[in-house]
Amino acid sequence: MHCDQFTHSITRRAMLRASAGGFGHLVLSALAARGVAASGLVPGPALSTAQVPHFTARAKRIIFLFMWGGPSHVDLFDPKPRLTQSTGKPLTGKDVGDKRDQLGQALGSPFKFAQHGQSGIWMSELFPHLARQADRLCVMRSVHTEGNAHGEALLRLHTGQANLVRPSVGAWVSYGLGSESDNLPAFITLSPPRGHGGVQNYGSAFLPAIHHGTAIGSAEIPIAKAVIPNLTNHRLNPGQQRSQLDLVQSLNRTHLRDAEMDPGIEGLIGSYELAFRMQSTMPQIMSLSDESQATLDLYGVGHEPTNNFARQCLLARKFAERGVRYIQVSTDYTWDHHNKVEKGHIEEAAKVDQPIAGLLQDLDQRGLLKDTLVLWGGEFGRTPTVENGDGRGHHPQVFTMWMAGGGVRNGLTYGATDDFGYHPVENPVHMHDLHATLLHALGMNHERLTYRYAGRDFRLTDVFGKVVHGVLG
Amino acid sequence: MSNRILHGLACAAVLIAAPSQGADLNPSDPVAGRSHWAFKPLVETRPAVTQEGGWSRSPIDDFIKARLELASLRPAADASPRALIRRLYFQLIGLPPTPEEVRRFLDDQRPDAFERVVDALLSSPQFGERWGRHWLDLARYADSNGLDENFLFREAWRYRKWVIHAVNANMPFDRFVLEQIAGDALPFDSTEQRDQQRIAAGFLVVGAKVLLGNDAMRQRMEVADEQIDTIGRTFFGLTLGCARCHDHKFEPVPRADYYALAGILTSTQVMEQRHMLGEQRVMERLVGLGPDGDVLDASYEKYWREVPNLKERSKQAKSALEILEKGDADAFKVLVEKQPNAVSEAAKNLTLPVEKRVESQKSLVAELSDILAKPPKIPPRAMIPADMDAPADEAIRLAGQFDRPGERVPRGFLQVVSKGARPKIPDGKSGRMELARWMADVENGAGQLTARILVNRLWHHLLGRGIVRTVDNFGRTGEMPSHPELLDHLAKELIDSGWSIKTVVRQIVLSRTFAMSSAYNAKAHIIDPDNRLLWRAHRRRLDPEALRDAMLRAAGQLDLSPMDSTVWYLGDQATAVGKNEVRRRTDFPCRTVYLPVIRNDLPELFQVFDFADPHSTTGARPQTTAATQGLFMLNDRMVMDAAESLARRILADDRIPASGARIDRMFDLILNTPPTDEERDAFLDFVQKSEKRLTEEGGTEPAIRAWSMACHAMFSTSRFQFLE
Repeated sequence: MHCDQFTHSITRRAMLRASAGGFGHLVLSALAARGVAASGLVPGPALSTAQVPHFTARAKRIIFLFMWGGPSHVDLFDPKPRLTQSTGKPLTGKDVGDKRDQLGQALGSPFKFAQHGQSGIWMSELFPHLARQADRLCVMRSVHTEGNAHGEALLRLHTGQANLVRPSVGAWVSYGLGSESDNLPAFITLSPPRGHGGVQNYGSAFLPAIHHGTAIGSAEIPIAKAVIPNLTNHRLNPGQQRSQLDLVQSLNRTHLRDAEMDPGIEGLIGSYELAFRMQSTMPQIMSLSDESQATLDLYGVGHEPTNNFARQCLLARKFAERGVRYIQVSTDYTWDHHNKVEKGHIEEAAKVDQPIAGLLQDLDQRGLLKDTLVLWGGEFGRTPTVENGDGRGHHPQVFTMWMAGGGVRNGLTYGATDDFGYHPVENPVHMHDLHATLLHALGMNHERLTYRYAGRDFRLTDVFGKVVHGVLG
Repeated sequence: MSNRILHGLACAAVLIAAPSQGADLNPSDPVAGRSHWAFKPLVETRPAVTQEGGWSRSPIDDFIKARLELASLRPAADASPRALIRRLYFQLIGLPPTPEEVRRFLDDQRPDAFERVVDALLSSPQFGERWGRHWLDLARYADSNGLDENFLFREAWRYRKWVIHAVNANMPFDRFVLEQIAGDALPFDSTEQRDQQRIAAGFLVVGAKVLLGNDAMRQRMEVADEQIDTIGRTFFGLTLGCARCHDHKFEPVPRADYYALAGILTSTQVMEQRHMLGEQRVMERLVGLGPDGDVLDASYEKYWREVPNLKERSKQAKSALEILEKGDADAFKVLVEKQPNAVSEAAKNLTLPVEKRVESQKSLVAELSDILAKPPKIPPRAMIPADMDAPADEAIRLAGQFDRPGERVPRGFLQVVSKGARPKIPDGKSGRMELARWMADVENGAGQLTARILVNRLWHHLLGRGIVRTVDNFGRTGEMPSHPELLDHLAKELIDSGWSIKTVVRQIVLSRTFAMSSAYNAKAHIIDPDNRLLWRAHRRRLDPEALRDAMLRAAGQLDLSPMDSTVWYLGDQATAVGKNEVRRRTDFPCRTVYLPVIRNDLPELFQVFDFADPHSTTGARPQTTAATQGLFMLNDRMVMDAAESLARRILADDRIPASGARIDRMFDLILNTPPTDEERDAFLDFVQKSEKRLTEEGGTEPAIRAWSMACHAMFSTSRFQFLE
């Protein structure tokens, strides 16, 4: 290596000139000197070394509906008549091709299953609203992951890794695509979990901090009460603050003039302007007052038990509309039914069914569904065997997730499990494969979306992952 | 697929720029690897004679100037005395000078005036708080575990305190390493010394661990891997983790070297089973401190182990009481047989009158409830490792999988920086002592590399960029040094001074290089846009610690007393699933270094201003600019409180009744410099207009509020947030 490798840097001012949008479109990149961490300024298209998109994007953004705790696949999307017949009988390794001898006592689903729509997608009676959207779904019954505990499984779902700190899926998407909005970050997470990896699940790790997910609230707080830290000034009104900011910026510009050339000072000036704008745009979006009653009703806003999740889903649509690339919506830690799985699933499904169906319809009506990929699922599934008499345990071996919208082959059931829903037996989709597929739908090659850190180039899927072309339209 | 299968392939599969080398060379060959610059012996070179004499003050300057001349560059002019003294204070103690300190320096006409300030700062207790924090970035210090289960590290602060103290005491770096790697095994003269050395070894324990892994062996290998990663990057500038699954693709580290080190660390116990949140869990190892530490700790743990039994006993005692009061003799007999210790001796005695028996049982019930209601206080403890009962060599794991053992490798160190025979590790010992000594062994061990890495870190912090900018990567995938001779010169100085950090820091800050201004130069910028050759000082943004401390200092709110724990009020889960109403606090008036570092729940200030991610070693913090920083400065309560406090301070000062003088004082307190006329006018105008408007709008204290807005504006300027 020679020293001349360090002289290629493009100054930020040159980049500013090159990008017509000025600060609003200025971003840094992997081009910035490595080792001296590249720095992001404000949202805009990222210049990653990977030159994205790598190919035509089928979707422009993702909305991930996260069911924290682990919904039971055999009670929702994956009917298992043999399991039902075997209820109360021991399930052996031989039944499902497992190394272990005894797996526990089989527990069939108490719910009725039926096929829905033209495509005949199977769903249990717990999702009556969603059932009417069946033809929009691509149900993947063969997803699998690692991690028997929530923490590990959440981290793998959100970052692909558990024992190492890695950027989250949303951060990678932000890094690859940047934001379409001048006023909003590229990655927003509504009501994220504080535990089980917490911030790491939407963190940027070694990617520039600009790609860190912006959290609004947290899982245990109703979204209507959620606040973004420091978004509001409680002492100065906007007029006072503007006059104060004008003074600050005039000093900053003098400083920049004296410094003649300093990307850091330029960045600081830009960050204040964006911050000031965010103060008015974010509350506008967060307030649902500009939504029609019909829309609110569609999602179930204002009614229980749907109110909270409905608000979250509606916000997701508003952010999607305004160019946010990756939006995650999370339930509270409510899907973990080690006891009373029947009662628990009835209650939890009722909270999310109408909001989710409403979201799909609303996105469609506004022409957004064709380029918005909606993903649904938890960190793992639940055991086909019983726990504590009437509950189910954690089951990373296989579970169901579904996708809808942009780039997705709708009306499809993909992959299959054995007769008891214990292992995948057809077209298994590992978590890394799912990640590769999501990036692919956004026009990015998961092997080429890389970031150099600590001497090596990292990617979301590590050395793994294959795109599941079968689920893409 | 397991998380680590073929992990190492990543190093090859996705690396863009492999280092150029002969096609037939095995990159992991440790002998051939010795030709890489970082592993070569230190070379003492005399700096080239510079064409233009008179500028240099020290060999450091000669090296810098010679390299600049080669590139037809000239060093920038000296920074102004005000800019220089401000820079010095921030770099050495992380605080701005007071206006009085600046005045004293400016008025001091003695030729060694600057040197005097340097020496005063080096011996001030604030030095350790600033430079200790630099070390804590490397030690991935945190007050909680992070990762899957974010349990509180209630005792981690003792390690932080030890670091700050060791830096202040200028503990020789070889000793500093020894105590952190093997402090628990060192001889001692007093309990106090024993405890301090043990606490130092908490370095090995404070890492993040996946706690709910199901397999003990897997956890042991993961913990060792985290330690190897930390040690490798901190001390050797190498990413050793790649050699877990295969011979390193780029660095001269065969897989056997990884497992030679792993054997030392898996022979070290950092986890133990103990009480936590109502159950026995495998957690970080805690040891009692003080003369009775072991006893107190054991009785504390015993209490919690017995709680489930105690609860059962208490329950039974209550029902025994009920039965006794009811007079059901049969049921009583059954209960006595089933749980004899739930019934008092007197109650069992059928010859006594019933009232006596009831009374006695009542007092047993009360006694048991009392024990349950009053758990013992947590005794003073610290996170401390120990050698395993049976230390042993480790087996290579095929493809890095913990459950696929291959051939055993004798414990040892990195061959690329070892001379002579393999070290002898005494029977029954982990080998950490030998490892620590080897790390600072200049003759036969890694000492010369360790010295290079360390002085580069000192340079990085003082000048803004390392001589090797990839401060944690000195391997083939890292950058080359911009001034290799200077790096070696400083490393030699470090070793010759007896590993004295303060000596090297002192030499650097007394150089003329350190004193350069940050002035821009268009011509130089074309030749060397990244300022690799140091034709000027790097202008730098204040880190979150300096930013907060400087605001509180100007406001007169900063309490310089050291703090111990700032997390005592938190529950065992630092970030809980659920309501989590008790969260880490940041409202302490202490220096920022003492604020809680909760993994995955860093204070906003840290999150927004690029604090080191405490999950892993950070030699160079990222430097980003984002809207969240703007929001923080515009709206954060701490910032506005400091501004108001400063406003009150200025308005209460009888010596400066005039508005103009007050503006001057504000500049002096915040920026250590008077305003230009233009700036003074702008602020005067702002204060007057704001006060007028606030008066018209009604409300209390319009003057205070107007001045608070002005001080807040001052904190928000780039001049305050950047160090020239």
